[in-house]
Amino acid sequence: MAQWQEVQGLANTYLEQVHQLYAGSALPMAVRQSLAAWIESQNWRQAAEPLCSHARMLFHSLLVLLGERLGSLGSDREDFMLKHNLRKAHRDLQAEFEEKPERFANLVANLLQEERRILRLGQAEGQAGSAPAPSPAPESGREQQIQRRLAEFHTALQEAERAFRHLEDLQDAFDFCFKVHYQPGEERNRDPGYLQELQSLQAKLQNLDRQRREVLAQMQQLLGRSETLQELLQQELGGWRVRQQHLCLGASADTNLRPLETWFTELGQGLFQLRQLLRALGDLRQKVTYARDPLVAETPLLEQRLQEQLTHLLKSAFVVEQQPSTPNAGKRPLVLRTAGKFSSRARLLVRLHDRNHRMEARIHIDRDPPNIKGFRRFNILTSSSKTLLAGDSPQEGLVCDFQYLTLKEQKDSRAGKGKGASGEGPLVVTEELHLITFTLAYAYCGLELELEATTLPFVIISNNNQFSSAWASILWFNMLSSDPKAQQFFSSPPPAPWPRLAEVLSWQFQSVAERGLSRDNLLMLAKKLLGSKPSPDSTVAWHKFSKDGASGFSFWAWLDGILGLLQEHLKQLWKNGLILGFVSRKQEEKLLKSKRTGTFLLRFSESVLGGVTFTWVEHHETGSPTFHAVEPYTASELVSLALPDIIRDYHMSLEEKNPENPLKFLYPNIPRDEAFGPYYSQRLEGNLSESQKYLNRRLIRVSSRPPNRRQTEEELLVATENLETLQLQPRGQGTPGDLGTPQGVATSPGMPRVTPGILGTLQGVTVSPGTLQVTPENLGTLQGVTVSPGTLQVTPENLGTLQGVTVSPGTLRVTPGNLGTPQTLQMVATSPEMPQVTPGNLGTFQGMATSPGTPRVTLGNLGTPQVMATGLGTLQPQPQSLEPPQVTSGVPNLQGTLQVAPGAVGSVQVLPGGLQVASGDLGTLQGTAEPPRVPEEQGTLPAELRDLELLTGGQDMQELLLHGGQDMQELLEGLEPPSGTLGTLGTLGVAELMPDVVATLEDSLEESLEENFQLSPGSAALLAQHDPFLPQPEDSALPSVPSLFTDLPPLHIDASDFQ
Amino acid sequence: TEAIGLYNLGQSCCLNSLLQVFLMNIHFTRILRRITVPPSPAQRRSNVPYQMLLLLEKMQSGKCKAVGPTELACCLSEHRVELFVQHDAAQLFLTLWNLLKKQMKKPELVKELRDLYTICIQEHVACQKCSFEVKSKSTMLTLPLPVLDANSHRLKTLEDCLQYFFHPEELTGQNMCFCQQCGRKTPFLQSTKLVHLPQTLTLHLKRFCFERSSCTHKLSHSLPFPQELDLRQVLTESQCQADDSEKATWQYELFAVVAHSGSASCGHYCAYIRRLTDCKWYCFNDSEVCQVSWDDVKCTYGRSNLYWRETAYLLFYMKKQPQ
Repeated sequence: MAQWQEVQGLANTYLEQVHQLYAGSALPMAVRQSLAAWIESQNWRQAAEPLCSHARMLFHSLLVLLGERLGSLGSDREDFMLKHNLRKAHRDLQAEFEEKPERFANLVANLLQEERRILRLGQAEGQAGSAPAPSPAPESGREQQIQRRLAEFHTALQEAERAFRHLEDLQDAFDFCFKVHYQPGEERNRDPGYLQELQSLQAKLQNLDRQRREVLAQMQQLLGRSETLQELLQQELGGWRVRQQHLCLGASADTNLRPLETWFTELGQGLFQLRQLLRALGDLRQKVTYARDPLVAETPLLEQRLQEQLTHLLKSAFVVEQQPSTPNAGKRPLVLRTAGKFSSRARLLVRLHDRNHRMEARIHIDRDPPNIKGFRRFNILTSSSKTLLAGDSPQEGLVCDFQYLTLKEQKDSRAGKGKGASGEGPLVVTEELHLITFTLAYAYCGLELELEATTLPFVIISNNNQFSSAWASILWFNMLSSDPKAQQFFSSPPPAPWPRLAEVLSWQFQSVAERGLSRDNLLMLAKKLLGSKPSPDSTVAWHKFSKDGASGFSFWAWLDGILGLLQEHLKQLWKNGLILGFVSRKQEEKLLKSKRTGTFLLRFSESVLGGVTFTWVEHHETGSPTFHAVEPYTASELVSLALPDIIRDYHMSLEEKNPENPLKFLYPNIPRDEAFGPYYSQRLEGNLSESQKYLNRRLIRVSSRPPNRRQTEEELLVATENLETLQLQPRGQGTPGDLGTPQGVATSPGMPRVTPGILGTLQGVTVSPGTLQVTPENLGTLQGVTVSPGTLQVTPENLGTLQGVTVSPGTLRVTPGNLGTPQTLQMVATSPEMPQVTPGNLGTFQGMATSPGTPRVTLGNLGTPQVMATGLGTLQPQPQSLEPPQVTSGVPNLQGTLQVAPGAVGSVQVLPGGLQVASGDLGTLQGTAEPPRVPEEQGTLPAELRDLELLTGGQDMQELLLHGGQDMQELLEGLEPPSGTLGTLGTLGVAELMPDVVATLEDSLEESLEENFQLSPGSAALLAQHDPFLPQPEDSALPSVPSLFTDLPPLHIDASDFQ
Repeated sequence: TEAIGLYNLGQSCCLNSLLQVFLMNIHFTRILRRITVPPSPAQRRSNVPYQMLLLLEKMQSGKCKAVGPTELACCLSEHRVELFVQHDAAQLFLTLWNLLKKQMKKPELVKELRDLYTICIQEHVACQKCSFEVKSKSTMLTLPLPVLDANSHRLKTLEDCLQYFFHPEELTGQNMCFCQQCGRKTPFLQSTKLVHLPQTLTLHLKRFCFERSSCTHKLSHSLPFPQELDLRQVLTESQCQADDSEKATWQYELFAVVAHSGSASCGHYCAYIRRLTDCKWYCFNDSEVCQVSWDDVKCTYGRSNLYWRETAYLLFYMKKQPQ
């Protein structure tokens, strides 16, 4: 903006100063105002120099312009006054300065300078006044400073250009006079006129010399200021780099490069402009030079100084905008997979380029590989060069974007492994750091540079299970390394100061579930890691963080397990602070002790990977309070039933009491439903009468413990173990299972858990690794079972029930189907070497295992039970464990035969260790109440059959039966409807039911039976099509179990039977 | 009033920078204004203090944005300070000061000038074998601070440099001295102790490194210096030889920085000066003067590999006014 305009915008106090400035001045303000633009665009300071004809020229120009202005004024009343004032000014100026125009030039120069001073003061105050922000962010302060300096730099640059043009004028004038007047010769030296000319020439040269020196001084000053500016920009860039690193670690940080790009470009532009100016100065020297010409001595220095600055600016301006990351790594960049695609992007912040010059960017991986034995070398399979495109829109900037990059390990990269006898082994893969270097051949305005940018180190893994520890390495490096190229970092990884580690760990939670770690959380973690309260100087060693672990897994593995659990299942609860999370048991008791009975809290298990548990307190009339903690839930369980629902429906059964939910108040004292209400899955109430095809059902969790005993948590666990013994639960026998008990038992290794369900309940059981789980249920129930690796799961059910099972690798699964669904239930287990048994009743049961080595067993009743193994390997239906089972299941097996249809290759093994089959009629409740007892008379496969092995390759059923021989016959007989079983079990089950409930159940069972018969086999077999509460056919492809467990009003629950 | 620049007369940026540092120091100009004017024109022409005073008057007349120090430069050339030659600022400072001292006729002014600039130290050489020791007091105009230690490692801060300067040095091996008492060459401990500090403390960062008679080169690495320097904090008890009342005055504020850009053989000098009247920083690049901030001054800390960047060479600290 023009200076005079800005002056007029000043606050009153400063305007007053301007008034005073002009009050005593020979230049009236009217003139200043009328010719504002022209006055400001002249170089008065130069004109003020003695012996300068410029002043006279300017003075006369001003008078002429003033005359023109007078002529252009109209005859308005306002103009009249102005006209008068200007005319008077014209006269006065002419009278005063006609003889000494230099003085006039000096006067104007001083006035303008003073104006600028007042303007600076006024604007500085205006800024301070207009932005009285209570605490102006230091960053915005820095931004403002940079912007102000950029503006000043450009103003100074313009001034230098103006001075340069003036210099050109002076030089042209001198050059002309010199050529015209300078005629050396003896005789002329006596000519006084000539001597006068020479004197004048000498004066002109003096003037020219001074102007040259002045321009040079201006440039020195400019370069000095741009150094400061560049230093500030480098600091900002450094800040950005730190922020980017933090962002990579999961912190939330602003990594927008736009402001930096603008600033770098502006400064770069200015410097290139200065470079042009310097060259032009050099050209002037070509035309006129003389002894001690300052241009000769100083321009080369200035050029070198400028060159160094520009190079420094450009080199630092080439940055990696996007660190290498795979597309779906979520918030964890810098971990790449061999053969996986990844992308990375570099940007040149100085957005100046020559459109006619193609700039090529290249990438190199591990250009200077570290000297580490066994360091893997990689090739970039995809193209490693790219032409830098500016993009049509200027917004995009100068970017080299490498996408869909793939790495391949060099075959011989580990060839040198055996060599060298040094004791150090090669680094593990997840501690091997790799770098990608971008290079760019930059060229602009004759300046050519090779620019380089290096990514942060990354880890290359070949298997997903290395991901977690790879990420640990990335965390450690970026937390501690000050040198982004230190590929040797893990040769001797430094320990992490606890406060820094705490911050980074908190970011992990922040990034996964939008809530960091509280001080108490961190205190608990610190104690776990350090063994004591942390001090500011506490440090954690790398191996302590990522390697050692008393519980079989490292601290990080444990923490990452929790992160995974949060990510998948507990995001909302964690985000909203419902999970206390990291609380030691001691601390937990301290917290709960003073709270009401039924106060509970959620915390992460310290003994199980990725487990969450709740602990509640129970006060007694006498004695100290007891604390109970349920065995931790892991992802495999939460996938079928959300934690809030578990909490809502959790029941504790006591022998003498009805089971009840002991979880009443979330710590400190929020009523359970108030705290978790918003997270319960939707209930479907109020439509019971209408088209109720199924019985309501709900999956609940029940724990039980022996009566009259009050234990602490640990005791409870022991007690359950006792319980197990009482029930003679099979243990350590591989994969025993039972069919169809009305009692579900879930066990963890060495710690059995009992989950009985009854009549009309929904039951889901999940097990942790290595556990046996049995989930029986009855009458109108739905059952969902998920298992984690290495577990056996048996899920029997009956009448009108629905069942879904998901398994993870390496599990055995038994899923009985239900009543009235011919060929309905299909269970597919796809784990290697693990059998799956799916018995069903009243209809066909089909279990299919289809992965290599996986057999499938399909049992069905009321029709044909089919067992089919289609993979290689062995089929092993194991309906029964070797030891007496704790679970019995009732399977109504009305008609038909058991068919074992072996698949391609392999053998079928039937290892019945005491199978108990309880059959029931249509619509009959089946349940066994006495879990440990096995009805010997029937349904039990003779022990001899255990070793029965049926070769299935190409054999048909007949052969199977033949092989089975007599014992097989017995087995088949056992599977046929045995009245005795019905009698025993049925009575027990029904006896405890409320009469009216039974009636309802029976009614709806019959209905649903009919309905189910109309369903097409195998299709949404589990769902009644016109049940409005259930998903319609389109979306009934529901693979996951949880959605099936629609919540219906709870039925009466009484688990005491099953104790 | 604005600060006034000095035209470059040809390689006179070094002189210009030092003149600005002198003339912006009101403690110095107070002395300068009291000089006696030499009687004859010829004497006036060759009198450095007088020419300096004339220049000061010219600058303060406030008519122009810069003046040419031509007469002073001519006067100096009479005293073997050559014109049109790039000087070393530390050397030129010493020459200028000596000329000023020599040509100020009044003893009281000479004393004041001395008090204003000279540093008193005590040099101490002690035999390690017996009790023999030699103490000698001496004065210095600047403290020539090394920026590298004996092992050529970079010193990190100005405080480190000061520490290192006053660190006792053992003279062993070839450097052993003859001990009068022992009658033979013995290892000695040589140390320097600080006795008195002047109003204006001048520190010289020895960035120009003379190596093996080959060409000198410049050490441009970063060496931060503080705005406020408290020598009592920097030096240990054993490095001082002063009473508490003397030491109480050892608190300084940065007043000026003479910075050099370029290589050892050629380059440019400029001066950053905090004007004592308004406490604002100005940068003097010959005829160009502009107001700057501490950020600009900090930029002269230096940086490895950036040889052309302005790098602090002389530091002028001013004693704080007693509270």
